[in-house]
Amino acid sequence: MNKTEEEKELLLRQLKESLDANPDDPSLHFDLGVCLWERAESKETAAEHFVKAVKLNPQNAAAFRYLGHYYSGVSVDTQRALKCYQRAISLIPDDSDSGDALCDLLEQGGKESLEVAVCREAADKSPKAFWAFSRIGFLQLHQCKWSEAVQSLQHAIRGYHNSPQLWEALGLAYQRLGMFTAAIKSYGRAIELDDTSIYALIESGNIFLMLGSFRKGIEQFQLALKISPQNVSALSGLASAQLGLSKECINLGAFRWGASLLEDAHEVAKANTCLYGNMSCVWKLHGDIQLTYAKCFPWMEENHSLEFDVDTFNTSILSWKRTCLMAAVSAKSSYQKALHLAPWQANIYIDIAITSDLISSLNESYEHHLGVWKLSEKMALGALLLEGDNYDYWVALGCFSDHNALKQHALIRGLQLDVSLAVAWAYLGKLYRQEDEKKIARQAFDSARSIDPSLALPWAGMSADTHARDPSLDEAFESCLRAAQILPLAEFQIGLAMLSQHSGHLSSSQVFGAIQQAIQRAPYYPESHNMYGLVCEARFDYQAAVASYRLARYAIKSSADTIPKSLFQDVSINLARSLSRAGNALEAVRECEDLKKEGMLNAEGLQLYAFSLWQLGRHDLALSVAKNLAASFSTMESSSAAASVSFICRLLYNISGLDSAINSILKMPKALFQSSKMSFIVSAFHALDKSNRLESVVSSSRSTLASPEDITGMHYLVALGKLVKNGSESYLGFDSGIFHLRKILHIYPNSNLIRNLLGYLLLSSDKLKYTHIASRSCRIETSNVTRKEGLKSAWEILGAGGVACNVIGSIDMKFSFPTCGYECLNGPKSVQELQKCLRREPWNHNVRYLLILNLLQKAREERFPKHLCTILERLITVAISSESYSKQHMSYQYQKFQLLLCASEISLQVGNIIGCIKHAENASALLLPDGYLFFGHLMLCRAYAAEGNTRKLQEEYVRCLELKAEYHIGWICLKIMESQYEVLADSNILESNFMEFSKEQKNSMDYWVAIFSLVMGLFSIRNKDLLSAEKCLAQACSLAGSESCLLLCHGTICMEIARQYHDSQFLSLAVRSLTKAQETYLVHLPIVSILLAQAEGSLRSKEKWEKNLRHEWFTWPPEMRPAELFFQMHLLAMQSKVGLDYSSRVESCQSPQKWVLRAIHTNPSCLRYWKGLHKLVELA
Amino acid sequence: MKLAGLKSIENAHDESVWAATWVAATDSRPALLLTGSLDETVKLWRADELDLQRTNTGHCLGVVSVSAHPSGVIAASASLDSFVRVFDVDTNASIATLEAPPSEVWQMQFDPKGTTLAVAGGGSASVKLWDTATWKLIASLSIPRPEGSKPSDKSNSKKFVLSVAWSPDGRRLACGSMDGTISVFDVARAKFLHHLEGHSMPVRSLVYSPIDARVLFSASDDTHVHMYDAEGKSQVGAMSGHTSWVLSVDASPDGAAIATGSSDRTVRLWDLSMRAAVQTMSNHTDQVWGVSFRPMGGNGNRGGRLVSISDDKSISLYGYS
Repeated sequence: MNKTEEEKELLLRQLKESLDANPDDPSLHFDLGVCLWERAESKETAAEHFVKAVKLNPQNAAAFRYLGHYYSGVSVDTQRALKCYQRAISLIPDDSDSGDALCDLLEQGGKESLEVAVCREAADKSPKAFWAFSRIGFLQLHQCKWSEAVQSLQHAIRGYHNSPQLWEALGLAYQRLGMFTAAIKSYGRAIELDDTSIYALIESGNIFLMLGSFRKGIEQFQLALKISPQNVSALSGLASAQLGLSKECINLGAFRWGASLLEDAHEVAKANTCLYGNMSCVWKLHGDIQLTYAKCFPWMEENHSLEFDVDTFNTSILSWKRTCLMAAVSAKSSYQKALHLAPWQANIYIDIAITSDLISSLNESYEHHLGVWKLSEKMALGALLLEGDNYDYWVALGCFSDHNALKQHALIRGLQLDVSLAVAWAYLGKLYRQEDEKKIARQAFDSARSIDPSLALPWAGMSADTHARDPSLDEAFESCLRAAQILPLAEFQIGLAMLSQHSGHLSSSQVFGAIQQAIQRAPYYPESHNMYGLVCEARFDYQAAVASYRLARYAIKSSADTIPKSLFQDVSINLARSLSRAGNALEAVRECEDLKKEGMLNAEGLQLYAFSLWQLGRHDLALSVAKNLAASFSTMESSSAAASVSFICRLLYNISGLDSAINSILKMPKALFQSSKMSFIVSAFHALDKSNRLESVVSSSRSTLASPEDITGMHYLVALGKLVKNGSESYLGFDSGIFHLRKILHIYPNSNLIRNLLGYLLLSSDKLKYTHIASRSCRIETSNVTRKEGLKSAWEILGAGGVACNVIGSIDMKFSFPTCGYECLNGPKSVQELQKCLRREPWNHNVRYLLILNLLQKAREERFPKHLCTILERLITVAISSESYSKQHMSYQYQKFQLLLCASEISLQVGNIIGCIKHAENASALLLPDGYLFFGHLMLCRAYAAEGNTRKLQEEYVRCLELKAEYHIGWICLKIMESQYEVLADSNILESNFMEFSKEQKNSMDYWVAIFSLVMGLFSIRNKDLLSAEKCLAQACSLAGSESCLLLCHGTICMEIARQYHDSQFLSLAVRSLTKAQETYLVHLPIVSILLAQAEGSLRSKEKWEKNLRHEWFTWPPEMRPAELFFQMHLLAMQSKVGLDYSSRVESCQSPQKWVLRAIHTNPSCLRYWKGLHKLVELA
Repeated sequence: MKLAGLKSIENAHDESVWAATWVAATDSRPALLLTGSLDETVKLWRADELDLQRTNTGHCLGVVSVSAHPSGVIAASASLDSFVRVFDVDTNASIATLEAPPSEVWQMQFDPKGTTLAVAGGGSASVKLWDTATWKLIASLSIPRPEGSKPSDKSNSKKFVLSVAWSPDGRRLACGSMDGTISVFDVARAKFLHHLEGHSMPVRSLVYSPIDARVLFSASDDTHVHMYDAEGKSQVGAMSGHTSWVLSVDASPDGAAIATGSSDRTVRLWDLSMRAAVQTMSNHTDQVWGVSFRPMGGNGNRGGRLVSISDDKSISLYGYS
């Protein structure tokens, strides 16, 4: 309606003119009135026109509205204004201008009921009279009719959905109805519409506080403070939100975090008290913050680098206490200010009582009585005088009072007021416990716990009560843990640590966390440091343990009078033990000597003393201390006596050897050995003792073993003992050990300990067949792979077993035909298991090493495919770069040697001869026994041979001969090198070396000699000397008759000889060997049968020829069948065609012609097949 | 009439100063100032230099009230833990320790003759009278319960008695309560006379006019100072101007003026003839808990003195003329 002045003038003139023409037209009067109304000076005339308009047309609501405005604004005549507005509304109830104006007028006149009536009428008339709904809503809000207000306001919001006031009002109504989420949403909408709406911000903050989401509350209050930095509600809200958040932190045990939050809260509250110093609640809030701060401020070891001594420790404790005390005092004066402002508020009396109780506990010299009542008691009484029916105050009185009768009375009074008051029950339980009424105490705790399981005290009480009804230690520990988790109180936490010491949970992380928190809140208490030390020790952190034992001693020293000597002794012995475990024997000895001076060296101390002396090499002194220890046996309890005895035995063994230890054991009374631990020690000695002097002691002490763990452990030891006893000087008696373990495994099939040892022994044994079955004895369980049982873990045995056999066990037969008779198809499994292990423990170099070896084995079997070689190269590079191989220990150097050889082998296989030589040279340069280095030089031989460098080859060959192999295979390989590359050498040296070496290793001599003969035979074949080859192979077969490869070779040679020399004698020899070969092996070797068929055929036995030929068919994997086989099948098919109908047989599934075609298809270059085909075609 | 700042001591106490009174001059010394504070001490000062004479300790909680015997020889101090310590002003020797149930000791005042100590009894809704010779409780003047209320009714705590004042003739005693009512007692008969109504919030301070035993001034949290005809049961005047609670009121010895201290951190001087504030002192930085005129008499009193004490830990001394 941006009309210019001129246009308006024009309009006015036109209207006037037309009115002159038509003086009875109400609409013209109205329009003119509106025009005139817009001008300030002509309102009177406008009103006249409006009056005329309504006279002419009483239905014109707008005119009435304008008249209403006129009477209320220009000529103040409220009554008329009211009437005009009322008229306007009754005509058009939706008219919000009139409605609002009318209601404002009514409100000014104080006619609230009339206002309601007007609004209701309008609302009834039209659902679109939103102004009326909003008015009604506000009024209902004012009258605290929350649920009605919600309805009205919701309706109003449909009309004015962008009104922040309405949303705010709706939020308030919801809030009062307890619908907090809805309230938050409404307030949120109000804030969206008007982000300066401080009321909505503060109220939604308050709701967040009530719902416990303090962070969101803090946000809201901070926003509110940005708008109005001095708003008391916002400041208080922010401070109490921070207080709430910090209490949450403190309940989690994050004291430092809580304290820092409280420092912020303190700032806010302080500002608030400066602004609003006469508000009691502001001071109370400040007091609450300070009190919480005093209760949570943690003691910190400020400078970790700085070593504590007694003085610095004391000053640190004092300054911590002072900080707490200052906060408490400040809390107290804040509460007093609050009380001074509002002395009728009972709860502040309780606050003062709590604070003064805390102060007097922090500061012993504080309490100075004026009367018979303690200050805290008296203040609690003050609260009760004002509000005698508040049960919380009664409980508070019960807590503060020193008189048990009054305590009991107050608590029972609290319970009378509310029988389900868990706190009162809990404190009552505590009181009864102190009075030694264990049974009632327990009942009280029970009822407290059943009423409110989230209360810490009854749980703690239950755990402290272990003796009353004897719940198990574990149960007590669980209860105490719950208590400490609900409420991180130093007392609970220390108790928890003490319980965990007895129940064996000392190293659990709950205990660790708890005791760390306990130190923050009770640093002056020696036991907290002592327990922390014990926990650290249980977690193998000896340095930390030593530090905290020291702190414990400072704490004892600074409060010397109240603490029993025995604690000092305990702590000192703990310290000495930790020192010695941390490897600081010198300090440990010093501690022990100090204790000795004080005369406080008990059995454990003596043990430590002797042990530390032994560590320092002062053996004589150690022995004399041990003697002292032995002298005190009679006074000891049986358990500690056993510990001492076992210690002495071990010390004697380590210092003066086995005999002396055994002699002293024999001298001691047998009763001392009646425990499982002792039994192990004695058995260990017994195992080492060849003359079995301890037989009787051992047998009597073993009777004490009861648990399956102990028994299997003992069998483990027995097996190891058998290894030692039944072995020779340089060789362990594996057989007897294995035998024993096998028996035991039948009794305890679930014992991984036994299984792993058995596997290990099987692998270590020199019997070939054992190595194949080793991996079968162990079980890989993913659940407890991390725990290592016995000498080797299951995966180590599996990995080693994988490389122990030449057959990795590819399921795919295209690479080779395995001839291992032990069905050890664990190759792929071991590679997978090792990968799993490596994934779990990527830092474990042993796993990587075994994986590399297994993969190499696999690569070898698959003829070194490209991808495997690449993988291996990368793995080896990673493995060799591992830090652990820089260690000088033999086992690491040996692994490195093996890895280098693997790398060298891979290089050789991929044709990188320079790399191969480099790796092999690196390997040969390591400091290892000659027997190992031999293989390095053998590798060099191969490399130079591949390079064609005869001179170097010769050198390396000679070097190999000098070094001498410790394994048969080494000699055999060397022999192959010698023969293949015609190295200039006296071949007898090698052979005689080999034979000499073989004689030492009796167990497997035959087998290896057979292989040697095989090699010799193969070279004879190369030299076309078939007869001597046959001799060699015959020898080989006689030595290792079960090896089908040898038999096959021999059979083949025999057939060749028979062919060349037409000697049927050899033919029958061939038949014998081949038949044996066919029979012995489980997986049938190919070629054996076809050769046998041929031999039988030559011996005119057609039936056997047919049978063997058919047999041959099945020995080949389908995709690998050679052309010759098809051709032979054609012959077979021809036979059957001529003869009877053998349709069920293999050869008859196709016509002979098809067989030949298949043969030609497989190998088209063979003329024989073509000829065969030709013949067949001709026949047809 | 006007106030002139003479001296002010910052950090006179370690904590908020809550109570102050003048100890009348004796033959041997001029009048002294006695202050009590949240820091649990009572301090004795010599005017006009405000030299610290002595610090009395012994209270476990903040000192809420101090009162001096008209003779100037003994004084009493009361703390939040409801102990009243009566001591010799010059030697600090304890004369008596009066113990009351907690929350039942607030303001106290010696009667003009010095025979009785009246103690506002807080939650007990009564005023306790202690004999100053034997230090025995002689009477407990209770505010009668509203009709129909039971003894267990919590509304009684609304009658929490905060303040007490003796009429200059010693016949009447007035006490102010948390609900804003003032109760007047006949001391001789130990009888409740009537309520004085008008305040809507706690009455924290009361004082009778020294020249007219019927006129009572009251200071209340509703920011007003009222003037009552205590006998005639009627309010005769109201003085407004403070923007927050009025915490204390005292009448000048000449009866022409009253001074008030308030939570709005000011001290005001009111001219009774004009019933208006004639001067506002804003030298305190926190709420003013007490104002006190030095009583007439004694030797060496060169002029009127007013002292004010505050939460800002300071004491201010003004000359009144």
